Amino acid sequence: MFGKLSWSAIPVSEPIPLITSIVLILVIVGVLGLVTVKGWWPYLWREWITSVDHKRIGIMYCLLGVVMLIRGFADAVMMRTQQAAAIGDAHGYLPPEHYNQIFSAHGTIMIFFAAMPLVIGFMNFVTPLQLGVRDVAFPTLNSVSFWLTASGALLVNISLFIGEFARTGWLPYPPLSQTTYSPGVGVDYYLWAIQISGVGTLMTGINFVTTVLKMRCPGMSYLRMPMFCWTTLAASLLIVAVFPILTATLAMLSLDRYFGWHYFTNTAGGNPMMFMNLIWAWGHPEVYILVLPAFGIFSEVFSTFSGKPLFGYRSMVAATLFICIVAMMTWLHHFFTMGSGPAVNTAFGISTSIIAVGTGVKIYNWIFTMYGGRVRFSVPMLWSLGFIFTFVIGGMTGVLLAVPPADFLVHNSMFLVAHFHNVIIGGVVFGLFAGLDYWFPKAFGFRLHEGWGKAAFWFTFFGFWITFMPLYILGLQGMTRRLQHINIEEWRPMLLLSVLGVAVIAAGVVCQVVMLVVSILKRDQLRDVTGDPWDGRSLEWATPSPAPFFNFAVMPNVEGEEAYWGIKLRAIDTQQLSPEPKYEPIEMPVRSPVGFYTAFFATVTGFALVWHIWWLAGLGLAAAFAGFVVFAWRDVHEYHVPVEEVARVDRARRAAREAVLARLAQQATPS
Amino acid sequence: MSDLEYDPHNYSSVLDAREDHAPGDEPHESAGHWVLNANLGLGLSVVLTAAAFWAAQADIIYGPAIPVALVVLAIAQMGVHLVFFLHVTTGPDNTNNVLALAFGVLVVFLIVAGSIWIMHNLDYNMMPMDELMRMAR
Amino acid sequence: MSDLGLPASAEALRRIREDPHRLGHRAHGPQEPIQGAGHGVTGPAQKRIIVAYGFWIFLLSDIVMFACFFAAFAVQRGATAGGPGPQDVVEVPRVALQTAALLLSSYTCGLSFAATNARNKLWTQVFLLATGLLGLAFVAMEVQEFVSLASCGITPQRSGFLTAFFGLVGLHGLHVTVGGLWLLTMMAQLQVKGFRREIMHRLLCFNLFWHALDIVWIGIFTIVYLMGTVP
Repeated sequence: MFGKLSWSAIPVSEPIPLITSIVLILVIVGVLGLVTVKGWWPYLWREWITSVDHKRIGIMYCLLGVVMLIRGFADAVMMRTQQAAAIGDAHGYLPPEHYNQIFSAHGTIMIFFAAMPLVIGFMNFVTPLQLGVRDVAFPTLNSVSFWLTASGALLVNISLFIGEFARTGWLPYPPLSQTTYSPGVGVDYYLWAIQISGVGTLMTGINFVTTVLKMRCPGMSYLRMPMFCWTTLAASLLIVAVFPILTATLAMLSLDRYFGWHYFTNTAGGNPMMFMNLIWAWGHPEVYILVLPAFGIFSEVFSTFSGKPLFGYRSMVAATLFICIVAMMTWLHHFFTMGSGPAVNTAFGISTSIIAVGTGVKIYNWIFTMYGGRVRFSVPMLWSLGFIFTFVIGGMTGVLLAVPPADFLVHNSMFLVAHFHNVIIGGVVFGLFAGLDYWFPKAFGFRLHEGWGKAAFWFTFFGFWITFMPLYILGLQGMTRRLQHINIEEWRPMLLLSVLGVAVIAAGVVCQVVMLVVSILKRDQLRDVTGDPWDGRSLEWATPSPAPFFNFAVMPNVEGEEAYWGIKLRAIDTQQLSPEPKYEPIEMPVRSPVGFYTAFFATVTGFALVWHIWWLAGLGLAAAFAGFVVFAWRDVHEYHVPVEEVARVDRARRAAREAVLARLAQQATPS
Repeated sequence: MSDLEYDPHNYSSVLDAREDHAPGDEPHESAGHWVLNANLGLGLSVVLTAAAFWAAQADIIYGPAIPVALVVLAIAQMGVHLVFFLHVTTGPDNTNNVLALAFGVLVVFLIVAGSIWIMHNLDYNMMPMDELMRMAR
Repeated sequence: MSDLGLPASAEALRRIREDPHRLGHRAHGPQEPIQGAGHGVTGPAQKRIIVAYGFWIFLLSDIVMFACFFAAFAVQRGATAGGPGPQDVVEVPRVALQTAALLLSSYTCGLSFAATNARNKLWTQVFLLATGLLGLAFVAMEVQEFVSLASCGITPQRSGFLTAFFGLVGLHGLHVTVGGLWLLTMMAQLQVKGFRREIMHRLLCFNLFWHALDIVWIGIFTIVYLMGTVP
């Protein structure tokens, strides 16, 4: 009746997951209870859960990403401390079966449920604002995408207290991931969580390709788009191109596991190496999906905080598209050692080295953007400078790894682990933190506390290097990855140093949390009154903070690169705003529960499939389909925002800007 | 004139409709145009399909070249479908669609050709799986 | 233009009014295409174009997924593990009938689209029904094929080759089945709601989907079936 599910699925004999689960359940119940008691459900349902507003969805994505980032960090702390403790005769505190789940969960959560949601959250929030339009191409689909991603994250977290997680690493290589060697539910949890959220991500990719190519405000030709929109386009093209590979490959593994097929088995004509080939054909472009929007964020930050237009805009666009295409031609470098031979290895080694050229062009352009500008060392700029230093070194170790003979020595060693953390943290995480600080005022109407932000940066920056530099050394000394117990005494100092680094990073995390709390408490002092706290150059800074739900009262006309800069300069020059436009009623999409509804039943179906509860899976699918048909039957897709409301919001915006102009004029005239 | 002003009456969507189309979307074409397209598409497809089935079993093509002939016929028929049924043409109103298609074809080529090349090399270099399993026992 | 002796501001205003985005001289009347139109500089595209283009991108992603299954088939073609090979599973007459059914369904789908453009509900429904029935015939023949193979012990659990075969062909059949369900829903919606804007968009998308399925089938019958008969 309940498939493989029984009371033994709850980990009563394992203290760590048990205690964690109890604490988490208490926290969740507490939060839900608080919301109920305060009567916030109608507001939350109306304004957030059923919202199809790209800004709200973007914020929810970022919230999901930040929460999961903390969970992934907790896993990382456990891993580093276990390795520092389990040397020689000591065996640490995590048994191998548990440790394997932790490193698998760490990777899975960090990539799929922390980095991807954060990156997609930024794409969601910023892109329509920068393009000067009111929403993405498919707003309701956007909501579905978010809730499906959340559904995947929920399934992974459920595995903590009902059942187990995969023990295969974040990519479930067969034959280990086949039923013969992983008979439990762990790999199934992984498979369904990723498949469900993968559908969501694919929908996001389609949404943004269509938005960037077909929905821009008048006058915004391709070469007048902000750089972040170009990187959104490139990342979305990559999503559309490669997420189907992930879906297909995991589906094949599922067929092997559920029906005894022979895609990747090691008997009867299966080919396990094909899994590695296909999964990395997805996996390598995936990291470019993560890093390209981060590069876009850096382009925005460097130009804004240097007070200069981005250097070499066209070469940046070319480099972005170059990286987008070549990213799909390098995937074999993840398995040089699998034995394809010299010809294949050489070809992919060369393509991997070539792709570094695109990134090099970008780095030089960012540095030249700063040159000759008036650089302001705000928190986003600090993250960006930290990125240049960190990512370049990480990239260099990557080019080292791109040479097959060198890779044969360090493949799957701690050198590799240090390299990919170097580029992901230095590139993606630093970019996300820069973007969080940069666009926080636009989302919430007040800035983040600068002092705590700078402290967070310095702790994280130094903490990162103290954590991962030892790992490079350990890798070169021969330490392989994913070790639950270390036999070699000589490695102890570096392992201990690495744990010290983790403590420093933890201090950085604490600083970020304190920064958030302090900023909320002091929000009136940190209020962003004008909507343009950083003297920005692109269109999102033309809106008030927080931006109204329709973004722009009247869609802007764009006449050059840096759409907002020219408008702003002209206003300051002529000491007046452009004349008040003729307001018209605005059409906006209606909100819809279909996203939440679909994801709810997706979670039910996923859980049922994990535990082989077939009737429940069928029921979940049928309910999801029924919901879809009901949704497709609706007659009303849009509603009209009356002219009065548009005018009221926009006149408030104009008044704030006029106040700024008056203040500037006062400062200019000598008293 | 306001910098933030967009006068919707300046740019009628009629112009947009004449200059940009999604695949299969030509709102100003008559039904007769579509019927003609469908007929031509069907006719050509039937010819190409019949040719493929025939080439596979007849002796007229040099044996080892039959797979090549089949692939050529398949690609030709895919082209017929794209042009006549999906109305993806090379006109300036279809540029976005053609570029998207080209991107898709590139990805498909990389995956299929790349996988075949890589797996073939692995197959050549690596011990066959059944021998490996026997060794493991 | 500059030698007409107009004051600079009036000249600037005139230039802005005629060509505010400096896209190029609008030499012809208002019905002529503007340079740069179609490149998105005249504002967001119409909903119909956005919906259909987005669906086109989705279709390309679906074709990438099929490409993975094609690649698996290509790699595992010889992995028969001592069991049945391509010659043993291919039955050319049935494949020919399936191909004919799907091709004809593509044709009737195209005709239904012609009727849609003419806003003729009756003929749209007739041709959609024909499309559905032909699709149903296709799926029925495929199911019959799978059942008859299974009764001979030729199942995907037998070998890598059979896994790849059933996977690829089955995935396509699954798409046709889902397309059929979509078709039924569309016919119901069309009957109840008529040619409303959203229904037109969805019919456009369905058209693209159904033709794309036939394009994938061309790949399948060529590579899986016809090449399977060639020694």
